[in-house]
Amino acid sequence: MSHRDALMLAVRSLLRRPLRTALTVVAVTLGSGLLVALTAIAGTADSRIINELGRGGPASAIKVVAAEPDRSAPDSDVLRTGRPRDLDEAAVRAIRRAPDVTSVEGVLQTPVEVIPLPPIRGMRADAKGSDRPTPFEDNLVGADLSRPRDLPVTILAGRLPATHSLTEVAVTTGYLDRLTIDIDHPQAALGTEIEFGAPQIESGSVVHMRGRWFRARVVGVVAQQVGDGDFLVPLDQTRQARSWEIAGGADPDGGRLPTSPYSGLIVVASNLDQVHTVRASITVLGYATSAPEHLVASVLKYLHVVDIVLGGIGTIALVIAVLGIANALLAAVRERHREIGVLKAIGARDRDVLRWFELEAVLVGAAGGVLGAALGLAVTAIVGAVVDGYLVAEGLDGIDLGTIPWGLALLGVLGSVALSVLAGTLPALRAARLPARDAVGSL
Amino acid sequence: MERRALPPCPPAPSPGGASVRIRGLEHEYGSGARRVHVLRGVDLDVEGGGHLALTGRSGAGKSTLLALVGGLERPQQGELRVDGEDLSLLRGDALSGYRRRTVGFVFQHFGLVQVLTARENLELALSLAGVPRAARATRADALLAEVGLEGRAGHRPGELSGGEQQRVAIARALAHRPRLLLADEPTGNLDEEASAMVLELLERLRAESGCTLVVVTHNPAVAARAPRRARLDDGMVRIA
Repeated sequence: MSHRDALMLAVRSLLRRPLRTALTVVAVTLGSGLLVALTAIAGTADSRIINELGRGGPASAIKVVAAEPDRSAPDSDVLRTGRPRDLDEAAVRAIRRAPDVTSVEGVLQTPVEVIPLPPIRGMRADAKGSDRPTPFEDNLVGADLSRPRDLPVTILAGRLPATHSLTEVAVTTGYLDRLTIDIDHPQAALGTEIEFGAPQIESGSVVHMRGRWFRARVVGVVAQQVGDGDFLVPLDQTRQARSWEIAGGADPDGGRLPTSPYSGLIVVASNLDQVHTVRASITVLGYATSAPEHLVASVLKYLHVVDIVLGGIGTIALVIAVLGIANALLAAVRERHREIGVLKAIGARDRDVLRWFELEAVLVGAAGGVLGAALGLAVTAIVGAVVDGYLVAEGLDGIDLGTIPWGLALLGVLGSVALSVLAGTLPALRAARLPARDAVGSL
Repeated sequence: MERRALPPCPPAPSPGGASVRIRGLEHEYGSGARRVHVLRGVDLDVEGGGHLALTGRSGAGKSTLLALVGGLERPQQGELRVDGEDLSLLRGDALSGYRRRTVGFVFQHFGLVQVLTARENLELALSLAGVPRAARATRADALLAEVGLEGRAGHRPGELSGGEQQRVAIARALAHRPRLLLADEPTGNLDEEASAMVLELLERLRAESGCTLVVVTHNPAVAARAPRRARLDDGMVRIA
C-alpha cells in the first residue's frame, strides 16, 4: 500500500468518527498549548528576574575600579581591592579588546558638598520639627548617559539627565531616604533643585578650601550600581569637578591628588555565561572587579528548577493527552477488526496496516500540535499583556515578550507528533499483528 | 446484465485457474478442555479452472478450510498445495504475497472498506496488487462497468444495496486477476433476485477468466449450480 493510499485511509477513518477525533485533537491541543505557554512564560520570567538582578541594566555588567585586584579573591561578588592603579585610556582599550566584551563605559566619581534647595514636596519634618534639609557630603557619579542600556541603571521616575547637561541630575532612593521622601512616590523629588559644591584645596603653608558651586535640577529618580554616590550626572560634569579639584594642587582628604581619568568602568560581557571569563581577563590586566556572578548563578539554578517543573507539568499534560490518542486508536482497532482482516485478505502486509494507524496518530498529533502551539502563543501573549499592565501600574518596568518564539512553537508541534507516534505504536502494532483469520470473523 | 469483456489488467503469474491439492489436512483451535478439532484429515483436489461447492452444517469446518486454502491461516498438519506451492512453508510477507497474487476473496459480509467509495475500494486492491496509479482509475471504472455498477463508482458501501455491495466485492476480488476465487456464503445476505444475479456474475467471470472457484454455502440451490460438490462432515470431506 502506498503512503498516499495509507494517508487517504487514515484521513477517511478519522473523519468516520468526527466527535471522537475532535475530542482527541482538543486534548492534544490543550496539552501542547499548556506546554508551549508554560515554557514561554517561564522563559520570559527568567529574563525578567535576571534583569531585576542587574537592577534594570545588563545582569552581565562588571564593575571595574581603579585599583589592583585582591589576588586572594579575584572573583568574589564583593569588591576587594589592592593598591590604587590608574584606569587610563590604554587600560580601557585593552579591556575593550578582551574576548566576549560587549561594551566598556567609563565612570568618574567626585566628592561634593550637597545642599538640597527647598521647597521639596513630600518631605516630612524631622524629630525636631524642621522641614529644611541639612547639607551633607556625597559623591557625584559621572557616566556616559547616551547609552543607558549598557549601564546598571533602573529609572524609577522621570528620566536620565541629558547626555552633556551640566544642570540636570538623577538621584537615587538613598537621597529620597535622606530627605524622608516616601520612595513609593519618587515623583515628588522631580523638579526640585540641589546645589553642589566641588571642593578644592589650595596648597601652601596655609590651607584654603574653596568650592565650585553649581545648581542642578532633579529630572529623574534611579536605582543604580554605576558608582558609590546618590547623584548620577553626565561624565562632563564630574570631569569639570575633577579638573577643579586637581587645580587646587592638594587633596581635600590630605592624600595625594587623584590621577586616574576614570574611577571605574562598567564592562558588559556578551552574556551571563561569559561574565567569569571577562572578569578573569580584566584581573590579568591588573584591575579589581566586582559582579553579582555567584548570586546570578545561584538564581539561575533555581530558575532552572522552576523551568523544569513548569516544563514537566506541560509535558505531563501532553503525555496524558496523547494517551487519549492511544485509547482512541485502540477503540478503532476493535471497531475495524474485520476491516483490517479484509485488507489483509486482499494482500495488505502487516506494515501496511501499521502505517495506516501510525498515520492516524501523526495526523491527530500534528493537528493538536499546531493548534496547541497557536493556543500556547496566544495564552502567552494574553498573560504577558496582563502582567505587563500590572507591572507598569505598579511603577515597575514592563515586560517585553519580544518576537514570537517560533522555535518553541515548532518544538511543541514536533513534540506532539513524536509523542503521538509513540502513543500510536501499541495500537498500530496490535492492528498489524491481528491474524487475518481472526479478523475476518465469518470465514 | 449486458456482458462485456474484462478490461486489461496486470498479467497473472500463469494463465488459467490454480489447482488445489489437500492431503491429510488437520486443524484445531484452542487448548486443553477447550480444544476443538475442526479438520480431521481432509483430502480434497480441485482442478485448475474448476468450480467446487463446499457444503456442511455450521461448525463443520468449511470456513476454516477456506481460510487455509486462501492463506489466511497456516496449515498445522497435513499437505496443502496450490499450484504445487506448499502453503505450510509460507509466512509473513510471503503469505501476504500469495494472497495478493493468487487469491480473490468474496465474503458474506462483503468486506468493503466503509470509508472508501466503490471506485476507491477497487483502487486500493489494485494498489496492493502493484498496479501503477495512472492505470488504477481506468481499470477500476472498467471493473465496475463489468459488474454493472458504472453509475455507482462514487458511492460508499453504505449508499449501495446488498446486491450492489456484493458486486463491488466481486469486482474487487477480480481486480488483480486471481487464479483462485474463494467465496464464503456469497449470497448469505442477499434476497433471491440479488443472489441469482451475483451467482450468475461469479460463474460468468470464472468462465471468462478461467480461474478456479470454490464456493462455501449452506444453500442447496447455490451448491446445485456447481458442477462439483463436496460436503464436510465431522472434519472430513465427503464428495457428493
